[in-house]
Amino acid sequence: MITLTDFLLVGALLFCTGMYMIVSKRNSIQVLIGIELMLNAAILNLVAFGKYDKLNNGGQVFALFAIVLAAATTAVALAIILNVYRRYKTIDPDEIKNLRD
Amino acid sequence: MSSLLPYTDTIISYTIAAVALPLVASLINFCLPVKSKLAGWVSTLAILLGCVFSAMVFAAVWDQQPQHVQTMWFTIGTTKIFAGILLNNLSVMMLLLVSLIALPVHIYSTAYMKYDDRYSRYFTYLSFFCFSMLGLVVVDSLVLFYAFWELVGFSSYLLIGFWFTKDKAVQANKKAFIMNRIGDIGLLSAIIILFAKFHTFDIATLFISDNLVFKSVIHDGLWISASGQIPAVWQYVACIGVFMAVAAKSAQFPLHTWLPDAMEGPTSVSALIHAATMVAAGVFLLGRVYPLFTDSELTVLAVIGCFTAFMAATIALTQNDLKRVLAYSTISQLGYMILAMGVGAYGSSLFHLATHAFFKCLLFLVAGVVIHEMQHIKEENDLDIDPQNIQYMGGLRKKLPLTFIVAVVGSLALIGIPLTSGYLSKDGILIQAFEWSEGRSAWLKLIPAGALFTSWLTAFYVSRLIVKVFFGEFRLLKKYPEIKLHISDGGWQYRVPLILLAVCSLFPLFSLNPFFYEKAWLFESLKPAEFMARENIYHTIIPIGVNILSVFVIYAAYAIYVKQNTFSFPQTGFFYRLSYNQWYLDKIYRKAIVKPILGLGKTCFWFDRNVIDGLIHLIERTSRMVASLTAWSDKHIVDGFLHLMAALVQSIGNFARKFQNGKVQYYLYSMLLIVLVLFILKILI
Amino acid sequence: MTLVRLLFYVMSFIAIASALYAALSKNLVRSIFIFFVTLFALAGLYVIALADFVAVTQVVIYVGGILVLILFAFMLSGRETLNVIQHQKGKFINMAKVPAVILAVLFLAVIVNIILKADADNLPWIKQAIAQQNEITPTSSTIDNIGVNLMTTYLLPFEAISVLLLMALVGAAHLSRKEGGA
Repeated sequence: MITLTDFLLVGALLFCTGMYMIVSKRNSIQVLIGIELMLNAAILNLVAFGKYDKLNNGGQVFALFAIVLAAATTAVALAIILNVYRRYKTIDPDEIKNLRD
Repeated sequence: MSSLLPYTDTIISYTIAAVALPLVASLINFCLPVKSKLAGWVSTLAILLGCVFSAMVFAAVWDQQPQHVQTMWFTIGTTKIFAGILLNNLSVMMLLLVSLIALPVHIYSTAYMKYDDRYSRYFTYLSFFCFSMLGLVVVDSLVLFYAFWELVGFSSYLLIGFWFTKDKAVQANKKAFIMNRIGDIGLLSAIIILFAKFHTFDIATLFISDNLVFKSVIHDGLWISASGQIPAVWQYVACIGVFMAVAAKSAQFPLHTWLPDAMEGPTSVSALIHAATMVAAGVFLLGRVYPLFTDSELTVLAVIGCFTAFMAATIALTQNDLKRVLAYSTISQLGYMILAMGVGAYGSSLFHLATHAFFKCLLFLVAGVVIHEMQHIKEENDLDIDPQNIQYMGGLRKKLPLTFIVAVVGSLALIGIPLTSGYLSKDGILIQAFEWSEGRSAWLKLIPAGALFTSWLTAFYVSRLIVKVFFGEFRLLKKYPEIKLHISDGGWQYRVPLILLAVCSLFPLFSLNPFFYEKAWLFESLKPAEFMARENIYHTIIPIGVNILSVFVIYAAYAIYVKQNTFSFPQTGFFYRLSYNQWYLDKIYRKAIVKPILGLGKTCFWFDRNVIDGLIHLIERTSRMVASLTAWSDKHIVDGFLHLMAALVQSIGNFARKFQNGKVQYYLYSMLLIVLVLFILKILI
Repeated sequence: MTLVRLLFYVMSFIAIASALYAALSKNLVRSIFIFFVTLFALAGLYVIALADFVAVTQVVIYVGGILVLILFAFMLSGRETLNVIQHQKGKFINMAKVPAVILAVLFLAVIVNIILKADADNLPWIKQAIAQQNEITPTSSTIDNIGVNLMTTYLLPFEAISVLLLMALVGAAHLSRKEGGA
């Protein structure tokens, strides 16, 4: 029998990988991929816990919602990336520092 | 007798008007332009009106009940100080006298000061002086008296130094001021002692109506009166203080030296102030506080008066400066007055004061005319001479006939020849002095003898003066034969005062009997009650002896100075030098007082410069050192600390700024790191 | 060691390994394509977790929608992106990445620690669910139940999500318009 902890550990690994990508990647698209990875780790947890809710299917339903949200997020994020590229001619997040004081 | 409602009485209003008019004139003149010719007439009008008012007051009060009104001035604690006006024979006489003398002097001044640059200033001062003097004689409180006394001194200071561009005038008014200050200190201490003793400043209470002072006695070293007793020494101190005041104002030895120097002022001022009125203030004071003096103190007064009279007369013998001779003669006559006070001839003293005022004023005005004309000659011919030196004069009787006549009248009055007012008053003093010395020690008999001798000296120096100025040949013409002479008696502003004063110097004004001073009305009203009647030999012998000898002396002088054919004085003898140098008193003062004080001053200066300044420099250097130390620490420690703080803040800021690098991932990284740290902490704790 | 367990390990391994590759790869194209693998492996894991509908949705939306979008974005962003990648070639261990690695590793440690501490299998509500037969078993069908729940219990979130999707659609369309028109 596969225990809940196993799923959680896999999720944790995926989550940390995604985090690493977000923090270190020099490419906005890769950062986006990192975000997706972390989302997927979260969805995996939802699904794993959702196994114990047969009546309401809370975990699975919210996993679905999360997937849909991720799709929306990605669409907007990609639109932003395109805009950024158009303006800065780069998608390296380090180069975009207009936020600096 | 004393009412608390002033200003209701007409006499009092007249008095106030007489006193205040000159003040008003002074204030008006002060506002006028300095060269305004109006000023003279404003002042003259004021004094004329004042004169009329004074005459009315005099007529109302003389030999009548004294008038005394007062009002409460101020209160200190429970002591009420009153101020008011006291009119008795003494004060109304002075009131009239001052106004009467001031009037001709004012008229005279309008001409005499005509070309002065500060014409209206002169009249401002002159009117102010008249106000002070008139106020002095009528006030009833010692405090007010002192105030007016000071004002008199102050206006005198202003007038002596009127030509303040002349160095000598400045020196002279300084000298007068300092001498008068010495006297003022005396007066002030006397007033304070009197107040401490009797708890009042009221002259009437002190000396006249209640006569507290007279009722007090000195017994067993205590000064006892109804209000308690204090050591007798205070009575002596008070007397000495009063005497100092008298000596300073009335130019008595040893404080007399300012008066000859005061001749640096305009001659009309000399006539008014330094011959007739201000110097009389001392005698007046003596008259006011007469009961204060005990018998022995009066004797001291007599001695000093006699000595002053004698000394001044001897000095007058040899002086060549016209005004100086007159100044010493004034001192001498004032000595007579003090002497008279000292021997108890209170009435004679004041009588002499009145008569002397007229003829001395007259003589000064004559001197003014002569000096004026000499100055005129000097300027016209561009000569280098002293216009006041009688050595250059002579034979002026033909040029200045009127001046000559009035001068002779004044001189005869000064010598005391019968038919003049001077005879009446001076012989009275002499006779009473002899009477006083009856039954006293031989030494005190020297006093009347000295006075007698002085009167002959007076005859001599006055004759010398008149002869040198008016008789013989004009010595200036002899020395500079080519000079032109355009001199005359001057306009009516000169003539009227001279004639007026000359008439006043004759006997009719004072007595219808030209030979017996006892019959003079002024004297009869002022004489003390216990006056001795004409009963002894002195009353006959002395006037005869004095006058016969005086005539001889006059002739001798005439012979010496006009004819130059009889004996003459050795010009190098000890007595001559003593006299010529004014008994060396100025030099003695210079050596004995001025030098040590200057030395003290220099010592103080040295001390100040070397010790005090050194100390200050030390302190200064120390504080500078401390200051620089502080500055260093301020710069390096405090500022350094501040800079450190600033640098710290800056570096923190820079450090913190690095985080704000605008990199999204960096922010995220930081955020996650903090979350991680929180987690770790959560786990560990 | 059952087949399911074996499958779980395999799937987990594929998912983690491909994710790591995607993370470490400097080539954007490669990391995108290897991300496909990760997503597929995750879908497999969902199946093992007895959520077949979620797994299908995952494949449809992620692989069919999101990845395609990403590929488009990559292709639209042009050549420069590739140039950047070229520069970083040949450096397996980049010193700039070390802090990120440390962070990730520490995070992993913390999370693992928490998971182990939480002991998820013995949570009260899970025990209760097992006891009440409220547990999805491999035999039970869940799709109809999900459909009913979506339209009843989770109707409000569902509608909210749909509005959000619409907004995201409009927003993305607006953002990606050409400049000057806005």
